[in-house]
Amino acid sequence: MLVAKNLYKSYKEVHALNNVSLSVQEGELYGLLGPNGAGKTTTINILTSLLKPNSGEILYHGKSLFENLNQCKKMIGVVPQEIALYEELSAIENLKFWGTLYGIKGKQLQQKTEELLSFLGLSDRKNHKIKTYSGGMKRRINITAALLHDPKIVFMDEPTVGIDPQSRNLIFEVIQELHSRGLTMIYTTHYMEEAERLCDRIGIIDEGKIVAEGSLENLKKASTIKEEIHVKFTNAPKEDLLNINNSFPNQVLVQENQLVLSTSQANTDLPKLIQLCTNANLPLEHLQVKNLSLESIFLELTGKSLRD
Amino acid sequence: MFTIALKGIRQYFKDRTAVLLSLLLPIVLITIFALMYGGIGKSEKSRPITLLFTDQDNTELSKEVYSTLNEQSGIQLLTTNYDEASKLIKKGKNSAVLVLYKGFQDSVEAGNKIPMELFYDEAKEIEMGLMQQALWSNLFGITMKKGMKGKVNSWIREKNPDLDTTELLDIQAKIDEQFSDFEQSEDSETLEENSNLPMTAIVSEEKNGNLGLIQAIAGVAIMMLLFSVAGSGASLLKEKEDGTFRRLLVAPISPSSILYGKMLSTLFMAILQLTVMFLYSWLVLGLDIFINLPALLLMILVTAIACSSFGIFMASICKSRKQVESLSTLVILVISALGGSMMPLIFMPAIMQKLAVISVNYWAIEGFFDIFWRQLPLSEIYPKLIVLLGIGILFTTISVVSFKRNLLKMV
Repeated sequence: MLVAKNLYKSYKEVHALNNVSLSVQEGELYGLLGPNGAGKTTTINILTSLLKPNSGEILYHGKSLFENLNQCKKMIGVVPQEIALYEELSAIENLKFWGTLYGIKGKQLQQKTEELLSFLGLSDRKNHKIKTYSGGMKRRINITAALLHDPKIVFMDEPTVGIDPQSRNLIFEVIQELHSRGLTMIYTTHYMEEAERLCDRIGIIDEGKIVAEGSLENLKKASTIKEEIHVKFTNAPKEDLLNINNSFPNQVLVQENQLVLSTSQANTDLPKLIQLCTNANLPLEHLQVKNLSLESIFLELTGKSLRD
Repeated sequence: MFTIALKGIRQYFKDRTAVLLSLLLPIVLITIFALMYGGIGKSEKSRPITLLFTDQDNTELSKEVYSTLNEQSGIQLLTTNYDEASKLIKKGKNSAVLVLYKGFQDSVEAGNKIPMELFYDEAKEIEMGLMQQALWSNLFGITMKKGMKGKVNSWIREKNPDLDTTELLDIQAKIDEQFSDFEQSEDSETLEENSNLPMTAIVSEEKNGNLGLIQAIAGVAIMMLLFSVAGSGASLLKEKEDGTFRRLLVAPISPSSILYGKMLSTLFMAILQLTVMFLYSWLVLGLDIFINLPALLLMILVTAIACSSFGIFMASICKSRKQVESLSTLVILVISALGGSMMPLIFMPAIMQKLAVISVNYWAIEGFFDIFWRQLPLSEIYPKLIVLLGIGILFTTISVVSFKRNLLKMV
């Protein structure tokens, strides 16, 4: 469906993308995961034709994006991070406007908007101005606007940013439903749990490079880490936690009053950790050994937390 | 492009408060400016200027001066003593007092320096300027004739000291006769009349409509239009800030059609605003808009093109909506002041009048003056139409280049 080869993009002396290659199969939900500034948005901007790479090639169904621009644009749907809608127009007016830009007209447009509004449970509010909608409803209309022209691939750029958990779950359900219908999607996020929950394959991007790619299972298999030890303290100074970090070869994620130790040998690392905590008079509140998560794989690969 | 233009027009009409303000505010301002420039109720006669009059001589001649000046339509005399007059001027109740000192008649008859003086409030110099012409031409008429007779008599006495009284009285009678003949002659005009330049208005309010009203409508309509189109141009940057611009760019349309669509909707709103202004001026203020309808329609169109392209130009060179708003306010105020929107150009210094040609307001105002005041045919108005169209093309070209350089890079 989509093949991007050796994408390179620089802004003066900053290398935003450095030889990025990825491919997305038909019907696949591909997650692009990375911290802020990693190159996610630049990648999406290039793949959606908003930016031209300095070098590299992008093919949609074998057709070069920049050589067949309008043809390829019709295959693409984009759900931007912002609510890219006209607040003073109603939902139906917004959808008809965006649909018309893709050449959909008359009855076909009417039918398509009604169908999508019904799918997202917004039919009864279709004539209301967008500015009267809740955040979650706006997000749903934002998604609908990208689906009107029946795109072959949809780019979703952090579509759950700034919404309440209930609306987030509703959007997850929409994405899963679209996925089950066979729609190809590229989903960017910096939330591990979203990528874990939704994506078939994940590409981890950092400093303009894809550092790992594959299904969650494959990423776990490839990792040297097998388990995570989660420790919560009632009260622990950060310096003490950082000292514990220095005692292990693997990365330790240090947060306020807690740490997560990624390990390939929990049976030896767990007693060592407890001993260190006792020596440092750190009062333990909770301790748990968990299966490996994407967060730990990311930490292992990049040396930083996704929320850094 | 048309889809984007239609969307812009729909957005405009959806915001009813903005529509009302964009149409109502210029209407209110036009009415106020028309009142200021005397464009409304112009048929009423102007109020005469009150001039205080202090007669310390109290002679036949000083009374003649009083009655002559009092007959002037633009001046109303009010007799009072100097102290009272001085107080009234200081309090701002009156502008000036004309004082005829003791010995006024004797000095005039002797041909000496005339003892009279005008005291005035410097803050009312414009009013004084208007009064001065009527005042001096009348005073000149009265005092000069008497003064000349006195001068001639004095000269004869000085040059002929040996003449006896009888001979002197005889000569004086002959001189009086000559002056009397001159004053009463049907063929000759008086000195006063001779001193006046005959003036006939080729373009006048009687024939060509209401000057103040035309200035108010043309000036205010253009200025308010510039503010409206700047707002419309700024909406291009709002699209960028809201993310809709990005969505437009990924749609299968060319980036230029986004700009042209925005221009088209701005042009429509500009034409609508100008049309409403002129309809209001016709229906409420009595401007004859049908005097040269084809020229008016063309002038509305090219003015709308020039102004809307200015709005898009401002948006294309700025990086944020705040920048557009503050920069365009500054530029509009400057070009409106320069171009004669705020004040008729005749009141401005020569250098400012020369600079006015750089302002879009100047060309539009001059164009509307050509139609309504000078009542020129279309063939005489076309240079202004071409200049306005040229301004539109220039701004559009720069906007297209800047749009590609600035806006597209900001995604």
